[in-house]
Amino acid sequence: MKTIIAAIALAMALPHGVSAAPKLKVVTTTSDLASLAREVGGDRIEVTAIARGYQDPHFVEAKPSFLLLLRNADLLVAVGAELELGWLPALLDQSRNNRIRPGSSGYLDASQGVVILDKPTTAINRSMGDVHPSGNPHYWLDPANAVRIAIQIEQRLARLRPEDAPLFRKRLNDLKVRMNAADKRWTAALAPYRGAKIVTYHNSWPNFARRYGLDVVGYVEPKPGVPPSPSHTFELINMMKQQKVKVILMEPYFDHKTPQSIADRTGAKLLVIYPSVGGAKSGTDDYFQLFDTNVDNLVKALR
Amino acid sequence: MAISGHCIRLCILSFILLSVALPAFPQTDDRIQQIEKKLQDLLAQAAQLRQELDALKGVTSPPAEDLMAIEIAPPPPEALTDVQTVVNPSTAASGRGLNPDIAVIGTMVSQAGQQNFVEPREPFEFEEAEIAFEAFIDPYAKGRFFISAGAHGVEVEEAYAQFLTLPYGLTAKAGKMKALFGKANTWHTHMRPWVDQPLMVSSFFGGEGLSDHGISVSKAIANPWNTFIEATGEVYSGNAEGVFEREVSNDLFYNAHLKLFRDIDESSNIEIGTSLARGTVAEEGSSRYAGVDVTYRWKPLSRSIYRSFAARFEGLANRREGADETLYGYYASADYQLARRWLAGVRLDGADRADHLSDRGLSATLTFRPSEFSQLRGQFRRTAYDSLETVNEFLIQLQFSIGAHGAHTF
Repeated sequence: MKTIIAAIALAMALPHGVSAAPKLKVVTTTSDLASLAREVGGDRIEVTAIARGYQDPHFVEAKPSFLLLLRNADLLVAVGAELELGWLPALLDQSRNNRIRPGSSGYLDASQGVVILDKPTTAINRSMGDVHPSGNPHYWLDPANAVRIAIQIEQRLARLRPEDAPLFRKRLNDLKVRMNAADKRWTAALAPYRGAKIVTYHNSWPNFARRYGLDVVGYVEPKPGVPPSPSHTFELINMMKQQKVKVILMEPYFDHKTPQSIADRTGAKLLVIYPSVGGAKSGTDDYFQLFDTNVDNLVKALR
Repeated sequence: MAISGHCIRLCILSFILLSVALPAFPQTDDRIQQIEKKLQDLLAQAAQLRQELDALKGVTSPPAEDLMAIEIAPPPPEALTDVQTVVNPSTAASGRGLNPDIAVIGTMVSQAGQQNFVEPREPFEFEEAEIAFEAFIDPYAKGRFFISAGAHGVEVEEAYAQFLTLPYGLTAKAGKMKALFGKANTWHTHMRPWVDQPLMVSSFFGGEGLSDHGISVSKAIANPWNTFIEATGEVYSGNAEGVFEREVSNDLFYNAHLKLFRDIDESSNIEIGTSLARGTVAEEGSSRYAGVDVTYRWKPLSRSIYRSFAARFEGLANRREGADETLYGYYASADYQLARRWLAGVRLDGADRADHLSDRGLSATLTFRPSEFSQLRGQFRRTAYDSLETVNEFLIQLQFSIGAHGAHTF
């Protein structure tokens, strides 16, 4: 009899013992934000990214299939700083989800809590190319900013799911420790090349360069978002020869013809570097892997 | 300031002492060493005096700064475990305040080749300046205004409030707007992949398309097939120029649209829509339209800024009360992005007219887009107006936009 009562009591207790709350549905605009959200939220959240890591995040199509994701989302995390200006507002207008509108607790613009570089100091206009009024939106490529993004996600998840707040806090602290250790590893690997002059295709790497002491001396694009022009390319080649630039960094979604010809004429190496998680078929599955692969490839190129 | 003043005075004092002392000694190594030692002693005494002076004044000296180490931005923190978020309000948002997004899009068209008597054009014509305003009205709705100014005069192309937060997953629009009938009818000039409207739209709905004053309500329909399904019902006042003319107050015009969208894979997708519209033509009776639209799009994500393809088909049928024939219209088109800034396309189109007349068209386009905000497009167009006349034309269009234009729906 006692066994039966104990069994009934156990059966009644089980649903309370197991976390009954459904997973929070988190949608992020980019795969990097998704990776950091996964680190913080663990199995208490379900994360989906809109843009793929091998896609230019400035130019994502506002497809109705993304509305299926947004309609049920509890939290939307965006890069902000006008990166998604061409597509996210259109999706939000059609999302039919009041929880994730800007100003709601389910909308997080991660740019609001990070260190942003290249903030315009004078009035900007479109003759300057695709200059973002809020500064350079590629800020996630600095592990310190990755931690800042994770802190904001942790705070927001804790607000949306207070009962899991201790878990999110614990996972955030764990992430900080691992990120700190990894950053020391990356800093040490790149330490011999501190001050190395590099050229990048687009101005996507200022945060990365600042953290690891690289000196970005030029861009393949004459102005942000403007395709390479012959006159700019010639100027860049001369400058690279003068300054003995050894490496050109290029995202996988750009055409390699012009940067390759610049590399051929200057003796520099053209390195495809991944700006986002999932940018390569393998070795970029999360934020740590992304940096491991990029730092590894960069060290080989700078050698 | 007091500290730096002291520093300067002490440095000057040291310099004078050094200059006075130097000629007094013969230039031997020992003497130089003695002088250096005395100088160091003097500097040490000066530093001690400065500290004492600061202590008396209650000022804490800043640590000595290595000017070579100064950077524009602060150096990154040592340990990422100590990193904190920063308060970083969006400068764009604070700068713009509550003003709406304002954009002006200019369209200039030049025509060469044979004169088209059905759709006459000037050799050069500034066709339209579209002025667009967009902003949130309040937490519940957005306001959108599109004013078109051109050779035809100034008119409100669209002006509506869009309610985004209605219950039951509904959205609604109220105002003057383009009816959600097919795809091409809903596009503004700068969204079209061609210079002109296809015959299907211009013949049945006129150059400005089917638009009227009314209300539109949409609902997304949940389904287990991972497909976006949206049903839209619209009711308009019934005065759409050249399409519906209300005779009595009940002669409203109704429109229904069903849209299905599905990803085939991450690079390609298909959209299918059906539309039904019904209204009245004064002194003739009811007029009904049925339409279907199919769009296939391909854009490889890793090369998305360089390559894309879209194939489109739209067809409609129109039946007027008392008429002995059903009129049909269609277009089929394909557009391929050759390079980052170049697109090429072809279009076949046709539309029936009353009395068993039928027009057919064939077009080829080439578009150059220096940036997202301007484009130059050439279109060769061959139009056969029934068997009466065939016109070969070359149209060149320049479009340019300034200001902040909201993202378009897909």
